Amino acid sequence: MSDSDKLAAIRAKTRMRLLFALVTLGCYFAFVLNWVDGPDRALAQTLGDSHINGSLLFFVGLIISFILLELLFLFIYRVTGGGRE
Amino acid sequence: MSALTRTANSGFFTLLAISLPAGFALAAGDLSGEVERQAVNPVAIVMFLLFVAATLGISYWASRRTQSSKDFYTAGGQITGLQNGTAIAGDFMSAASFLGITGLIFLGGFDGLVLALGAFSAWPLLLFLLAKRVRNLGSFTFVDVVSQRLERTRIRLVAIGGTIVVVILYLIAQMVGAGKLIQLLFGLPYEVAVISVSILVLTYVTFGGMLATTWVQIIKAVLLMAGVTITAALVLYHSGFSIENLLAGAAANHPRGDVILSPGVLFQDPVQVTTILVSMLFGTLGLPHILMRLFTVPDMHEAKKSAFYASLFMGYFYLALIILGFGTAMLLYNNPAFFTPEGTLIGGNNMAAIHLATAVGGDLLTGFMSAVTFATILAVVAGLTVSGAAAISHDLYAEVICKGAPDSHKELQLTRLTTLVIGVIAVVLGILFENENVAFIATMPMVVAASVNFPVLFLSLFWPGLTTRGAIWGALAGLVSSVGLIIVGPQVWVSVLGFEEPLFPYNYPALFTLPLALVVTWLVSVTDRSARGEIDRDNYLRLLIRSEYGPEGEELEIARH
Repeated sequence: MSDSDKLAAIRAKTRMRLLFALVTLGCYFAFVLNWVDGPDRALAQTLGDSHINGSLLFFVGLIISFILLELLFLFIYRVTGGGRE
Repeated sequence: MSALTRTANSGFFTLLAISLPAGFALAAGDLSGEVERQAVNPVAIVMFLLFVAATLGISYWASRRTQSSKDFYTAGGQITGLQNGTAIAGDFMSAASFLGITGLIFLGGFDGLVLALGAFSAWPLLLFLLAKRVRNLGSFTFVDVVSQRLERTRIRLVAIGGTIVVVILYLIAQMVGAGKLIQLLFGLPYEVAVISVSILVLTYVTFGGMLATTWVQIIKAVLLMAGVTITAALVLYHSGFSIENLLAGAAANHPRGDVILSPGVLFQDPVQVTTILVSMLFGTLGLPHILMRLFTVPDMHEAKKSAFYASLFMGYFYLALIILGFGTAMLLYNNPAFFTPEGTLIGGNNMAAIHLATAVGGDLLTGFMSAVTFATILAVVAGLTVSGAAAISHDLYAEVICKGAPDSHKELQLTRLTTLVIGVIAVVLGILFENENVAFIATMPMVVAASVNFPVLFLSLFWPGLTTRGAIWGALAGLVSSVGLIIVGPQVWVSVLGFEEPLFPYNYPALFTLPLALVVTWLVSVTDRSARGEIDRDNYLRLLIRSEYGPEGEELEIARH
């Protein structure tokens, strides 16, 4: 692989790293919405008649989503990395 | 009722300060004060002795395999990704995480989950941004990474300073919390508890180095997750294996009722929540003893696996804490046996998880969880000690004083000596700070790591324009501003110095100090016209190639220096 090819590959990988990081950070700081008064307070809604509300689902969803994001990240790198990842 | 629950007072909140945001701690109660010794729980003692015997055996085994500095610092780089991920989880799932978060949910319901999210979310970012590049560029510590590109001596001295500050502060908070915790759980005098922790950790680390430390952390992680799983399963059994019943029971029994299921009981200010989230996230990414674990694996593939497995285990752990936390609300509030005549939880809110174990599993589970909590402290302190020893013997002695060519035998000797010194320092500081309010000490490591270590590490990996001068000024700005704002904040200005109102309203200033460090680094770097600055910028491409392809892929002729 030539120098320019390697650098192009690294730039693509860096873009992907930053994209995954930005998605993570966006979701992470969206958690603050739980403490922001909004017009509809969707996170305060409950699931039917249960005690499970949007805030609790948000927390659980974030944990699971982050793990799935990591799996996706590792999968993409395995597929695009040509065995180098 | 177990012996554990017979006597205690509310002075146990120091534990919460070990690694939790002080806002939580202060919401929960006083952080200083005496802790009444507990009656001995024989089950806890037996289980703890079994743990100590097993880990000392491992230390003996590891000592026969620790022959060089590389063995000592990074276990010879032969830990697998799964093992290392478990050890990272063991390093990070502290007693404060387990007892503190459960106690916060017991106290304030949903708001207690802020810390759980903050502690967990650093791991995806570690995988996406740091794991591979740090592993490929460093050898023993994160200081190796930043000094690859920048002027070695100056940036090493700054990074070593950041590491030592973080390790010592973290160590003080751990030792004070450990002393109080062991005093409460096992009935040992405070000084004996602190000295016992130090002796055991020194035995692990001095003889077995990172290999013994890793296995102590692995065993502890497995035991902690087993204990949490058993407790959670028993809680679910009590709620008919229904989350709905669990939440309904918690809301019905908690004095605040249904509101504990929603945000707003402990925190109302979104900025306050944001300051905690920023500090927890970026502080974790700058903790030297966590970053050091990336070098214990053979290559970048295993480093990435480590980060993923650590996420997996911690995700499971924090999800299980939801069940434990709301389980405490469901099962403890309606049982007067767990409360003092004044109506407070015996031993303080941090004892909620242990009381829950008593409620669902009797003395056997209580003893097991108490022993696991002690093991947790040992594992965390061991990791800190290795990191501190490496900062002195490797980063300072081998790389700065010996210019990267130390006598290997002397370096290993110095490492072991440094370990002993750190152990003594930990005991002395632990005893000196026994009755101090350590909330601000517990705050500083995370904020300093977020404001000093993380910006330098991140920019050295991702920004071509970084120069040595910019990194040093940025690190100093982060250090001075974070320490200064903590001093004028509520924890020191009001709680320690006695003023009525803080000059700065938040306990965790990283939301402000991290951007400040980044801006100062950027400004000084872009205006740096020195010859060294040119070299630093030119070094970026060579290091970029190496960070992605490893040392074996570094055949490019891009770098001029």
